[in-house]
Amino acid sequence: MYGWVGRLLRVNLTTGECRVEKLDPVMARDYIGARGLASKILYNEVDPQVDPLSPENKLIFMTGPLTGTSAISGSRYNVVTKSPLTGTIAASNSGGYFAGELKYAGYDGIIFEGKASEPVYLYIENDRVEIRPAGHVWGKTTHETEDILKSEAPAGAKVACIGPAGEKLVRFACVVNDKNRAAGRSGVGAVMGSKNLKAVVVRGTGGIKIADPEGFRQAVKAALEKIKNNPVTHGGLPDYGTAVLVNVINAHGAFPTRNFQTGVFPGAEKISGETLAATYLVRKKGCLACPIACGRATLVPEGPYAGHGEGPEYEAIWAMGADCGVDDLAAITKANYYANELGYDPITFGATLACAMELYEKGYLPAQDTELELEFGNARTLVEAARKVGYREGIGDLLAEGSYRLAERYGHPELSMSTKKQEYPAYDPRAIQGIGLNYATTNRGGCHVRGYTIASEVLGIPVQTDPLVTEGKAGLVKTFQDLTALVDSTGICLFVTFALGASDVVSMLAPATGIPYTEEAGMLAGERIFNLERLFNLAAGLTRADDTLAPRILQEPLPEGPAKGRVNRLDEMLDEYYRVRGWDEEGRPTEATKQRLGI
Amino acid sequence: MKVELFGFLQRATGCGRLELEAPTVRHLLEALVVRFGERLRGELFLPDGNLRPGFTILVNGRNIVFLKGLDTPLKPEDTVSLIPPAAGGQSHALCSYR
Repeated sequence: MYGWVGRLLRVNLTTGECRVEKLDPVMARDYIGARGLASKILYNEVDPQVDPLSPENKLIFMTGPLTGTSAISGSRYNVVTKSPLTGTIAASNSGGYFAGELKYAGYDGIIFEGKASEPVYLYIENDRVEIRPAGHVWGKTTHETEDILKSEAPAGAKVACIGPAGEKLVRFACVVNDKNRAAGRSGVGAVMGSKNLKAVVVRGTGGIKIADPEGFRQAVKAALEKIKNNPVTHGGLPDYGTAVLVNVINAHGAFPTRNFQTGVFPGAEKISGETLAATYLVRKKGCLACPIACGRATLVPEGPYAGHGEGPEYEAIWAMGADCGVDDLAAITKANYYANELGYDPITFGATLACAMELYEKGYLPAQDTELELEFGNARTLVEAARKVGYREGIGDLLAEGSYRLAERYGHPELSMSTKKQEYPAYDPRAIQGIGLNYATTNRGGCHVRGYTIASEVLGIPVQTDPLVTEGKAGLVKTFQDLTALVDSTGICLFVTFALGASDVVSMLAPATGIPYTEEAGMLAGERIFNLERLFNLAAGLTRADDTLAPRILQEPLPEGPAKGRVNRLDEMLDEYYRVRGWDEEGRPTEATKQRLGI
Repeated sequence: MKVELFGFLQRATGCGRLELEAPTVRHLLEALVVRFGERLRGELFLPDGNLRPGFTILVNGRNIVFLKGLDTPLKPEDTVSLIPPAAGGQSHALCSYR
């Protein structure tokens, strides 16, 4: 095969058997790779009703056909499983250098089954595959683990691992590779921990065959030109990172503050990308084959929050900043270091802490249940909670369950700002209508990177749509969701879509694989993947009732700012969304739709 | 009115917030060029005088494309946010699928 290596590694952690399988070329053509291909395997092999933390769940690491090639930002892999946070399908995406190395070793992906009887890690050196004891790194941070395991491997080896959070089954634990890149959301790291799998170490010295090298080179060159001529991918993101959005979203009155009690944060400037660039930014960092380099290496040189590492990114700044009422950038940066090193999702963590703060301030979470002062704006509490949650220590044990289970425990689930039990990211759907429809309908719960309508509704990409209106948003959301499924499945980074469209993506995909993907075929594949995920969720027991938003978003008008007085009008969009998707009124793909998509 | 400058405009002007008075957005941009020099004109406008594509201007949080564009009238109590294309921009990512 071209683009794809054509081989999958199946690892049964219960029996210790490691087996190489041929990749089905038809399945690869239809589901492409990474998110799509792994979702298809999960759909085929795992009972959607399975307990996510049981040995019967599977954990799939999967690259795409463009991963490890010179395609723009071709650094990605997905970790797909059933989520312990949401009960839905989880597909979490990461960059860095790990995924390319896996392909150079000769594998498109790894399917983990069962559960090891004691902590282990998987060692891969081309055809040499071993399950090794990991007792010496169990309990270590992601950074410590990577350093130790690299010392046991040849130079150039790459590591993906879990931290203490994954070991302790924090429901939003992530898989961290290359120290600070993470398959971040939906708790894929907890599934890895449930299998006693600490890490994957890989070293590869092979290559990837390209069907039409000259055609591929020309397509990549053309795409690179567009990246270089785009003000986002050659300006905003490299200069300020994703945090450039802090001031922008706050100016729109869409920057959720104090658990979404308002949409304007007075301290936004103090935690903005501009401020980060002027204070703690050391240098930019990029992933494999990425000309954008949105990563931020940072250093807090002194004070109680001194440290160094990467980030925070926009979403983390928001979740641990404005959503908790904290305007201390050093504290947020320190908390972000904990998230990277202990291995959990800072969005769900910050949003869960914000929920705890509101429960506490309203008297629902009694003081005797927490050793921390949980009032909004307390930077010390933020940093201490960020450490405790990774070890499930004290109040951290409650926070580790995510905001929905926390709020439900105290009798107020309506204070969890989540859909399908996954917390919303940093855009208030009362001020930006379309993103609310996306939150309500993404297949992994509250999520922005499954249909980033912010591009259109706020940034004007590709055209400006009015964030305050609902008309036309159903089609917009569907298009963004399908394009995202396509991009996620190729192995390139979603951020290229600030400059590249579906036609540019398939222009690289076709010569790489030798399959004549058209723009239409690529978008159809994205739609197929999105619908397959939906079918998994329906079989897991989800219904139309789960396609909703938190009561606050639907019923409590924003109290101030540009969107003052507004709620999200999901009811004006959801039926139309089902229609444009070809779903029945209960949100089930019709037989005609499944037939059209070849599912 | 209060004027907020984001992204590279903060570096270009050396400030993030300032107070200016102008009857419309167009007049406000001209006042900024007068204050910070002709170089800023090139950052704000294309040679034909139109605003650079992807440059977003908000008046009280509302994009001026949904108001009266550069002719949007301003009141002393307004807040104007200038967001350069580095934090926005244009592409053809989804045009054929709208």
